[in-house]
Amino acid sequence: MDYYLSVATFAALHIILAVGLNLVMGFCGQVSLGHAAFYGIGAYASALLSVAGWSFPVAMLGGMLAAGALGIVTGLAALRFREDFLAIATMAIGFIFVGTARKLSWLGGEMGISKIPSPLSKHEYAWLAMAAALVLILFSLHVRRSWMGRAFSGVAQDEVQAQTIGIDIAGYKIAAFFLGTASAGFAGGLYAHMTQLIVPDAFGFVVSISILAMVVVGGVGSTLGVATGAVVLTLMPEVFRIINDYKLLVYGGLLLGVMMFSPQGLAGLLAQARAALRPRQEGV
Amino acid sequence: MYYLDLLVIGLVWGCTYAMMALGLTLVYGLLRILHVAQATVFTLGAYAGLLVANGTGSLALAFAAAIGAACLAGVVIYRWVYEPVLDKPPFVPLVASIGLLIAMEDGFRLVFGPYGLSFTNNPWFATMLGVAGIQINLVQAVLVITAVLSIGVLAWVASSTRLGVGLRATVTDPAMAESFGVNRVQVRTATFLVASALAGVSGLLVGMLNNLVEPGMGGLIAYKGLAIIVLGGLGSVSGTLLASILFGLIESFGTVMLDQVMDRDAVAFLFMLLMLLVRPQGLLGKAR
Amino acid sequence: MLQVVDLAISFGGVAAVKGVSLTVGAGEFVGLIGPNGAGKTTLLRLMTGVLTPDRGRVRFADQDITRMSVDQRARLGFVMTHQIVRPFRQMTLLENATLAAGHALTRQPWLALWRTDARAAQVRAQQELERVGIADAAHKLASQVPLGYLKRLQVAMALALDPRFVMLDEPLAGLNYHEAERFSNLLVDLHQQGLSLLLVEHNLGEVLRVAKRLVVIDSGAVLADGVPSAVIAQPEVRRAYLGEAHA
Repeated sequence: MDYYLSVATFAALHIILAVGLNLVMGFCGQVSLGHAAFYGIGAYASALLSVAGWSFPVAMLGGMLAAGALGIVTGLAALRFREDFLAIATMAIGFIFVGTARKLSWLGGEMGISKIPSPLSKHEYAWLAMAAALVLILFSLHVRRSWMGRAFSGVAQDEVQAQTIGIDIAGYKIAAFFLGTASAGFAGGLYAHMTQLIVPDAFGFVVSISILAMVVVGGVGSTLGVATGAVVLTLMPEVFRIINDYKLLVYGGLLLGVMMFSPQGLAGLLAQARAALRPRQEGV
Repeated sequence: MYYLDLLVIGLVWGCTYAMMALGLTLVYGLLRILHVAQATVFTLGAYAGLLVANGTGSLALAFAAAIGAACLAGVVIYRWVYEPVLDKPPFVPLVASIGLLIAMEDGFRLVFGPYGLSFTNNPWFATMLGVAGIQINLVQAVLVITAVLSIGVLAWVASSTRLGVGLRATVTDPAMAESFGVNRVQVRTATFLVASALAGVSGLLVGMLNNLVEPGMGGLIAYKGLAIIVLGGLGSVSGTLLASILFGLIESFGTVMLDQVMDRDAVAFLFMLLMLLVRPQGLLGKAR
Repeated sequence: MLQVVDLAISFGGVAAVKGVSLTVGAGEFVGLIGPNGAGKTTLLRLMTGVLTPDRGRVRFADQDITRMSVDQRARLGFVMTHQIVRPFRQMTLLENATLAAGHALTRQPWLALWRTDARAAQVRAQQELERVGIADAAHKLASQVPLGYLKRLQVAMALALDPRFVMLDEPLAGLNYHEAERFSNLLVDLHQQGLSLLLVEHNLGEVLRVAKRLVVIDSGAVLADGVPSAVIAQPEVRRAYLGEAHA
């Protein structure tokens, strides 16, 4: 039972990470190859707060705000850079985070932070994670329908045109980054308290790519798609145990395959299937 | 004396990065693709070179093998991965490239083992030279010389040969270039051949420098290579060179100075980020 | 309403715009013309905020907007259309116009988050599409309609923004004779309905026909400013366009 609980909790955490990244990339069109850094900041900030004696809610909030703050900084930087630059810049942020966490003694260095207080039981973490994942999914669906989502869509398709019709692209990009990174920070806080030990390597480039893989496989821009992608990619190594040895080979291959054959991911395949099955309508 | 050591190390690394980054900038200038998978070509060249070196004892053959394997891989990647997705949004070739890199890194691990392979005989590594009062080994010297030679040859090709002119024309205006008879596919293939050859040679050299060829050796160098071409100003060859040297030097000195705060890679990337914030178009790039 | 004072900008040592001053009052219909390379588009970009001047000020409705971004200006009612059309290609014409019509709702990102009702904006968008005459293609994707439609879509979107002033950058470029005539008639109608317009245009025939006032730019400076028929007769203007022999 413990094992299933753990898998479910991680699936939920990955959903939060993927849906958050989708807000940034899929909705607002900003590339981010460093999402794990925000996961890590949330984990470290909340861990430090807990170890220092603060209560669990405060620690979690601290994690979210720390991640969100860095997200705002990233959003501000995104304003200066065009797309390709932004991809590399976000990658750089990821490496800077890991490189700093490895060296600074008050962040625990290579050994990380251990003996993080754990106020909840395994069951409670699972429920909390799943509830948060559900809330984030609903929130993301809401954003999509709202005027913020419409504006995001404009920003993603053509920034110059969006500006021409009065959309404050700076404000929207920063908002997207904040929402995406704060949720990653929440996931980080949960992770830290659950596992009670965090090390810098848990938040490196490979992790950022794994989250990206979930978004891409699910379908960039589709909330339910990326949530599905997160679940599938979490379960896959568990269901096909032998994959564990070849995990990165499979991940990489999956990324490559999806890009080559169905860049819109599962959501795209579903949309194509639906369109194929629907009888042709006149005059559309 | 100590600072001189750091300077030399920085320059050597700068030259290594330059060879990687040159290839990346050529590909970007031509196709607007961030060719992350260049790392795969790099590592493949290193493995091919090492295997041939260990098998035949001939360094010349090893280099030939490295270049050959790298060029083959590079062209295959272009034909089978990039060409089909040229018309898709930019994140598609980028993510495909990343996927390929990650998959191949694991592939190398599975085929050649996770701990890497060593040279049975690494004469250049053992040969020391005295330069300006400090000791460097022959590999480092060769790296620098190769980099300088490559840059020189490329500059000459770009300005004085049909191919070079065709490449520059294609970068500036592909449609126009084609109407003048420049064969697009030829230019692209040539670009990937050159970029891959550079990667393959530098891969083997880096393997010799560390006396170790391992699956992940290309990754970080490729990521830094990307940071370098962004820093230099995407598509600007001279910017790339300047940024490569700066990167090497900053890494060398910065690591020592910031040792308590962040590791070597973080220093390099932080430098890039700060420079970009000050000059978003890159060192020698054109302003938007 | 629009006041430009001593606007200037140089690119790499070459002065593209040299101290231009210009005033356009409310309700005017001004045409801005000049030979190729005269600096018309640069001047337009300075006025709309795409470029920042080296010197000079832009004032709109008594506010100094020189340092404001393009979107800030649009929210003030100072709107432009582009020479090269750039609609949101993956959206239908109606969706394009709706996004513009919802400008009041998208002003503030964090408030936009809580608003989902698009009906009023859609109604308004439909009205503007009808006003410019492209409502028949409302549900077609922007990537699938001809250029003439996209040009008029730009105007519809500009109108949906409740503008006080519209600047159009060579809207007739790429349109054939009939389309151009139809488009400029549309502008005349809009002007009669009270809109202030500044039209940068290369198509002399149409501009002479519809603009009420003409400003001629040459080599980055104002060459002439007045009633079209008078301006066109001025020797300097004829020289600038047609060369010495015709002065």
